[in-house]
Amino acid sequence: MPDISRRDFLRLAALVLGYAALAGIVEACKSVTTPRPPTSGPPDTSPPATAPGTEPAPTPPSSSMTPASALPASALPASPTPAASAGYPDLVVARHGEPEALVRRAVAALGGMERFVSPGSNVIVKPNVCVSYRTYTYAATTNPWVVGTLVKMAFEAGAKTVKVMDYPYGGAAAEAYARSGIAEQVQAAGGQMVVMSDRNYVRTRIPAGKWLKQTDVYNDVLKADVLINVPVAKVHSSAVVTAAMKNLMGVVRDRSAMHGNLGQAIADLNTLIKPDLTVVDCVRILTRNGPSGGKLSYVKKLDTVVASTDIVAADSFTATLFGLKPNDLAYVKIGAAMGLGRSDLSKLKVQDFSV
Amino acid sequence: MPTRPGWVRSRKAVQALALIAFVGLLLLSRRDGLSGDLANIPMRLDPLLMLASTLAARALIVGSVLALATLLLTLVFGRAWCGWLCPLGTMLDLLPAKLGRGPRPAVPEGLRKVKYVLFFLILFAALLGNQTLLFLDPLAIFFRTLTAAVWPILDQIVTALETLLSQIPGFDGPISSLDAAIRPLILPAEPVSYQDAFGFASFFVVLVALNALAPRFWCRYLCPLGGFLGLISRVAVFRRTTAVSCSNCGLCAEDCPTGTIDAARSNASDPAECTVCMECLETCPLGAVKFKPSLSQAEGRPYDPRRREVLLTLGAAAVGIALFRSDLLAKRESPFLLRPPGSRESNADVVALTSCTRCNECVRVCPTGGLQPAVFQAGLQGLGTPLLVPRLGYCDYSCNACGQVCPTEAIPLLSLEDKQQQVIGKAYIDQNRCLAWSDHRTCVVCEEMCPLPAKAIQLEEQDVWVPDGGTVRLQLPHVVRDLCIGCGICEYRCPVSGDGAIRVYAPSVIAAF
Repeated sequence: MPDISRRDFLRLAALVLGYAALAGIVEACKSVTTPRPPTSGPPDTSPPATAPGTEPAPTPPSSSMTPASALPASALPASPTPAASAGYPDLVVARHGEPEALVRRAVAALGGMERFVSPGSNVIVKPNVCVSYRTYTYAATTNPWVVGTLVKMAFEAGAKTVKVMDYPYGGAAAEAYARSGIAEQVQAAGGQMVVMSDRNYVRTRIPAGKWLKQTDVYNDVLKADVLINVPVAKVHSSAVVTAAMKNLMGVVRDRSAMHGNLGQAIADLNTLIKPDLTVVDCVRILTRNGPSGGKLSYVKKLDTVVASTDIVAADSFTATLFGLKPNDLAYVKIGAAMGLGRSDLSKLKVQDFSV
Repeated sequence: MPTRPGWVRSRKAVQALALIAFVGLLLLSRRDGLSGDLANIPMRLDPLLMLASTLAARALIVGSVLALATLLLTLVFGRAWCGWLCPLGTMLDLLPAKLGRGPRPAVPEGLRKVKYVLFFLILFAALLGNQTLLFLDPLAIFFRTLTAAVWPILDQIVTALETLLSQIPGFDGPISSLDAAIRPLILPAEPVSYQDAFGFASFFVVLVALNALAPRFWCRYLCPLGGFLGLISRVAVFRRTTAVSCSNCGLCAEDCPTGTIDAARSNASDPAECTVCMECLETCPLGAVKFKPSLSQAEGRPYDPRRREVLLTLGAAAVGIALFRSDLLAKRESPFLLRPPGSRESNADVVALTSCTRCNECVRVCPTGGLQPAVFQAGLQGLGTPLLVPRLGYCDYSCNACGQVCPTEAIPLLSLEDKQQQVIGKAYIDQNRCLAWSDHRTCVVCEEMCPLPAKAIQLEEQDVWVPDGGTVRLQLPHVVRDLCIGCGICEYRCPVSGDGAIRVYAPSVIAAF
């Protein structure tokens, strides 16, 4: 290796730093000129234009090199025409079966995974892995086979990568992934468990947010082509019931800031993060001392999976499994009013079947 | 021992390997990493730590017999531990600070006595049940510095570099993969910060800076483990001798890193000071230096500890401990003195864990960063002992790592089920600051976080009057004191700024207010 003089070394270092700074400035400019639009699900659930930039760009998926700010995360599933998606039910309830069969039948009823995942896309599956000290039988975390089946199906639909992640509030992520049983099923399906890294959050504005105006969101989630939200249904002291909409809190860094006005904050976050598909795991539901439970007597086995492209509808139906009305959940009430989805179950096309 | 070139190179190789092994064991000993028995090896090789904690705790830990290996090594080869294995010694060799170009100032030979004094102080203090001065054990210093200063700095630097590089288009993916590969292995999962890390770093910097006065200043004059091993080395089998062919050129005396070769005494050396580094073996142009077996006691030196001085250290230890016990904390213990699960001892001794070696292995292995090295929170005598500071990190309900890595079982080895029963403290709610109680806001974070299946925080539903008219239904948190184990996750997550509106108090505090 040739000797390098101090002067040359300093020049080189200045060059590298200068380039990095320039790249940072360019990146910053991009996010100013084209604020990342709140992504939208399939057209039938897309909210009214609440802020500039909510329209999904009809761009086909491009390579992962495309800067995130230029590509809406859900550009892909936007491809089905409104006419095509109109044929699908608004909400699917699959009952009485093994987790894998429930998930497969439910997603098939919504048009199959191909409707959401295009070949070559990068998929993120977001389960609820809230703590590191409960196995899945306590219904504190999403059923591993429900998550694993979604990973399998995403690959079957041609996904390039499938990452699974959550940020537990109690205990470390790696430990939680293992104890919940999710890591095993995801890895068996070929998916990747990602430990969310503290440096990988991006300060993101929420243009449509009424109370929560900005927050740090996990970058991978912002950049993913497809986001699949797969919560477990649980009672929860402040949110009454936690399922799909609240599960998205796992992708932001500062969750304690949201507790000041939880219902509105969850709805606001849902204007920014829009899963392409929501699958609510009701194989076991937690009926007491949520969100982490800890006794099997708190758990009720329902062997049910609820799936929808409408996150508000999914939570509305889930509420009924706990004997509640959709509007008992503040975030559902607010979310429906903000146009995030529909909570009036009588007006939805529901396909409810036994597997 | 044969006298041929290559000894110095071999020694340096062994030093490097030992340093890598010690640091590697430290980094890899994390939750779900190496088993505690492997992680404990460095500390358990240290006879000073093991002897002192055995005496102080009046209990022999099985693993501590490993220290006999070091004692045996010393009995045969003298202070070879210091010259060949000790990670702190190797660091001092690697970082030879020297000020200016002139000769180093002369350090009085009498200073060598300090290390013996420290050793006897530690020994007598341990007999009297106190281990404060183990703060000065070289392995404890080394690992504590790595934990409290180097590790967080390394994490900060790596994270900053990753953040910078990932801004370059196309670099983001590879950087994320790299991070995902190395972080679980050697870096903290989340950024860790230690209170007064600056102090622990400064202490180490001072030790290195002392090299400016003399090479291995610490090892020559101060190290209590060196003193211990030095005393044994006086009867060690292999000794450095000079043959009659020695021309008294004085080259070896110039090179000796511990300065024990005395040109005035025909280049003889003190086995208690010699670290068997073998430099003189290679320096001697005549090959007159040999390491040969000899079964006699080494010649006395003026700085050797005398009987009267040893007795004085006994008195000093007794007075020092009495002074500690007259400390304010001995009378009114800090209500926030939370110890790692299971480690709390009798009330009379709460201010310093009896057999804690101050090595901070538990601090490093704590996955939430809640365990912190005490500076003065536990009184001067608790310097370097672990404290749980819930505002910085909580005790993870699914973790029992601290007990697994503790080399002296000062934190007991507990199964996860047992650890989940340990009462670290009790939570109290300050209703004047709680969002629900004082502000009538909807906040149940503490109840939500409580990991106990039966929930040690219960919510009372109440309709309360609000200033802008009418009433609202509130959920007001209450702690069920009998259930609470004081894990501190409620305090950690409490959204109130500054001190939490819910705080964990030490269990001996019957009522917080």
